[in-house]
Amino acid sequence: MEIGTLLANLALGVSVAVTLQNLGWCLAGAVIGTAIGVLPGVGPVATMALLLPVTYLLPAEGALIMLAGIYYGAQYGGSTTAILVNLPGESSSVVTTLDGHQMARQGRAGSALAIAALGSFFAGCIATLAIVVAAPPLSRLAQQFRPEDYFSLMVLGLVFAIVLASGSVLKAFGMVFLGMLLGLVGTDVNTGNTRFTFGISDLFDGIGFVPLAMGVFGIAEIIANLTNRERRDLATSRVSGLLPTREDIRRSVAPVLRGTFLGGLLGILPGGGAILASFSAYTLEKRLSPTPEKFGTGMIEGVAAPESANNAAAQTSFIPMLTLGIPSNAVMAMMIGGMMIHGIIPGPQVMEQRPGLFWGMIVSMWIGNLMLVVLNLPLIGLWVRLLLVPYRLLAIAILFFCCIGVYSLNNSANEVLIIAAFGLFGYLLMKLGCEPAPLLLGFLLGPMMEVYLRRAMLLSRGDPLVFVQRPLSLAFLLLAAVLLLFVVVPTVRKARERAFRDGN
Amino acid sequence: MRLKSGQDLATGALFVAIGVAALWIGADYPLGTAQRPGTGVLPRILAWCLIGTGALLWLKALLRGGPRLGGWAWRPALMVTLAVAAFALLIDRLGLVVAMLGSMTLAALGTPETRWREYALFAVLMLIIGIGVFRYGLGMPVTVLPKQLPGNMPWELPWK
Amino acid sequence: MRCREAFLRFAWVALAASLFVGIPARAQNPAQNWPDRPVKLILPYAPGGATDLIGRPWAEKLSQAFGQQFVIENRGGAAGAIGTETAAKTAPDGYTFLLTPNATLSILPLLRTTPYDPVKSFLPVGRVGDIVGGFVIHPAVGPKTFKEMVEYAKKNPGKLSFGSAGLGTATQLRLEMLKWRAGIDILHVPYRGSADALNDLLPNTVQMMNEINVLPHVKAGKLILLNINYSQRHPDFPDVPTLTELGYPNSDVPIWFGILAPAGTPKEIVDKLNAKIVEIAKSDDMKARMQALSVVLPLQTPEEVAKHLEEDTKRNADVIRIANIKLD
Repeated sequence: MEIGTLLANLALGVSVAVTLQNLGWCLAGAVIGTAIGVLPGVGPVATMALLLPVTYLLPAEGALIMLAGIYYGAQYGGSTTAILVNLPGESSSVVTTLDGHQMARQGRAGSALAIAALGSFFAGCIATLAIVVAAPPLSRLAQQFRPEDYFSLMVLGLVFAIVLASGSVLKAFGMVFLGMLLGLVGTDVNTGNTRFTFGISDLFDGIGFVPLAMGVFGIAEIIANLTNRERRDLATSRVSGLLPTREDIRRSVAPVLRGTFLGGLLGILPGGGAILASFSAYTLEKRLSPTPEKFGTGMIEGVAAPESANNAAAQTSFIPMLTLGIPSNAVMAMMIGGMMIHGIIPGPQVMEQRPGLFWGMIVSMWIGNLMLVVLNLPLIGLWVRLLLVPYRLLAIAILFFCCIGVYSLNNSANEVLIIAAFGLFGYLLMKLGCEPAPLLLGFLLGPMMEVYLRRAMLLSRGDPLVFVQRPLSLAFLLLAAVLLLFVVVPTVRKARERAFRDGN
Repeated sequence: MRLKSGQDLATGALFVAIGVAALWIGADYPLGTAQRPGTGVLPRILAWCLIGTGALLWLKALLRGGPRLGGWAWRPALMVTLAVAAFALLIDRLGLVVAMLGSMTLAALGTPETRWREYALFAVLMLIIGIGVFRYGLGMPVTVLPKQLPGNMPWELPWK
Repeated sequence: MRCREAFLRFAWVALAASLFVGIPARAQNPAQNWPDRPVKLILPYAPGGATDLIGRPWAEKLSQAFGQQFVIENRGGAAGAIGTETAAKTAPDGYTFLLTPNATLSILPLLRTTPYDPVKSFLPVGRVGDIVGGFVIHPAVGPKTFKEMVEYAKKNPGKLSFGSAGLGTATQLRLEMLKWRAGIDILHVPYRGSADALNDLLPNTVQMMNEINVLPHVKAGKLILLNINYSQRHPDFPDVPTLTELGYPNSDVPIWFGILAPAGTPKEIVDKLNAKIVEIAKSDDMKARMQALSVVLPLQTPEEVAKHLEEDTKRNADVIRIANIKLD
């Protein structure tokens, strides 16, 4: 795209986005998004669904701008709870809990939150630029992926889930397998059979991610903190400054850049790349770091990279939706719903037929990111002070928000019961020294992996060699194997050394 | 051979138990063909992987050292779980207010540090926030007061 | 004193009699004053889907027509079974209705036991939209017309692949119907929704589909529309023939949306709502809005809708039996 048309398009976009109304809708979306992102349990999809009737009354541009604002506002807000109270609101903030919460325990919550916000903003800017300059070619790139490639990518993702665990590798394996099994609960889409549902119709669609995450992270954490005074005091007493230190900023630059690049690329894959964004970035940092064993204890890189990656992915996941009318996830499907309510049929023609809408949305995405950073940075002081509330009360509040949040997803009380069950289970896991993060990641990736496996086998008429014949697929599988070796070999070697020593 | 790690042993036991249960429950799931892998393929593979991991953990527990099992916190575990369950059971039948009060109180009972007067004020605050944000702010179709009380609509409209 | 007794007795009798007269009058009032408070429309799918796109304009129009809010409640899950069950079990007082595609009533119950009976649990009220779509094929495959596609499939059995929105959906039934009537073999690949399938159709990973989300791509020249699965041609594609014109009568598996009331709802309310539905369906504004979604609005009475459902169910049962579609 030449500079002339680019500038013309941007000018058009600015003229649409920078009207008083549209700026107002952007702000409204960003504020609502942040608020629900911070509230554990309530997610952007549920909120967008609740507000869909309102957007009906707005003009098309305003409606879409507001919905988009809610979406990435929720991304910003979701990292807040992940860092402060170890509660990931969305799949993308699971990884942020690993080091982010540890930083909060060390009194560095302010720094973590600030770096998360700034990194997200930077990623958002770059990603928006990418959309402006290269949306059509990027979406063509994404179209190159076949089911075999997606399968191998998911396998790689599962290996990432094991690599990023900081504790026992064996237990991480177990958690991933268990997570995958939990993900299979429900109706098998390819055959219509139900698995592990015991005839309970609420389980037909599987266990929800949010109830599971709320239970395994949130409730388990509350139970642990309510008993162990020492553990809790560490978390809430110290607040040593709201701004990141110079050291923190210096260490975050490269991870933010890498995270943005990785997340931006993964986000354009309509088949679910965005989920992988945050923990691929985390694993990358861990592998590149001179001190990988320190990950999980409060390394700023472990916050900067995933946060940038998931914001970049959130922005670039608009690309398949805007250029082809294909939603990458439930949120994009909502956006498409919002478009169609206004009579705009999503597809390749939107760019030509409604250029004002297209470019206006893109420009407002950037404005939204700016608003969010301006909103969130001062709020950090407020959030951090929230930690000073006595835990016996904070715990009750968190409990309530988890319950109402999950209830609001589907107006289903039974999903709240799932939280209870997994809360207890999560506490058990905690006592056994098993980490919940690999469990959740296995839960997300396992079913997707199965879908792609079966689709690949169906299309290849039963030939398993397709997985190694496609170059992309082969590359992912090899990378997965190499990473796995990196993780397993040292453990085995250490075990043999110790067995030797003990024997002597 | 001495047991060197209570945690690893217990974890291994958990994994093996879940794996075996999965195999048993999923015994009838059809396996399909190569072109159409069936419902049972992945569950079976995963179950065996889980059992294998559990067995390796047992080996580790017997041969190497490892962390011991810590103490259990019965009271909070029970009360918090009950609190969540109470919310689930009460909200559809008796409305948001009763569900909130029930679950918050149960949770408060879960720790010996609760100061009851403080809790009472806090509960009122939470009620206001909860009803304000969710019922009126977001317009969630949730009953606030028990249906048995006269003059309450089961659902009202937030817009107009 | 006897006068007073007589008077009192008369008063009691009069009071009692007036109550008796009053009761049927009060029972009739619900239908006369209907609706006098907001009405709930249950949509058995998560928000943002096709049912929403059709349901929301209808809710808006009905609210305007009756002066009372018609509120949408999404209750998704189990391929529509959960919402449909919820609607079946609500009180038939005319303040809750179900707005659903035919799949929950004429396809799903044929494939597995549902916690509701599609005929006995509901009273059809009216039709609110028929989807007009057709088979599309990726241009890189070769065939450019329906006839060419059939020939290609006959020469290469099992080579063509078709992506459906899922197992047991109307789109799969359309494929099976095509295979049966034309005597060809095409590989069925189930996806998780039409968007998922479109994603693989565009790079020719899967070759054919039959959904309306592909139509913008047909307009952009990226895909070829082979036929229309409906009784009349699509206004945006006047050159594309219907299945009947191509020589395959009775080969449609229509996808249609209807509003139904729980069984036992008073007939006056059903008729009142149907009259308004037909009136709205005739309006130019509604027709234009629905056309943008590739939806046409047939006009039918409640009895006609019930008959349509019955025919639909019978036809689907045949396809399912012949193609041996099982959720097992």
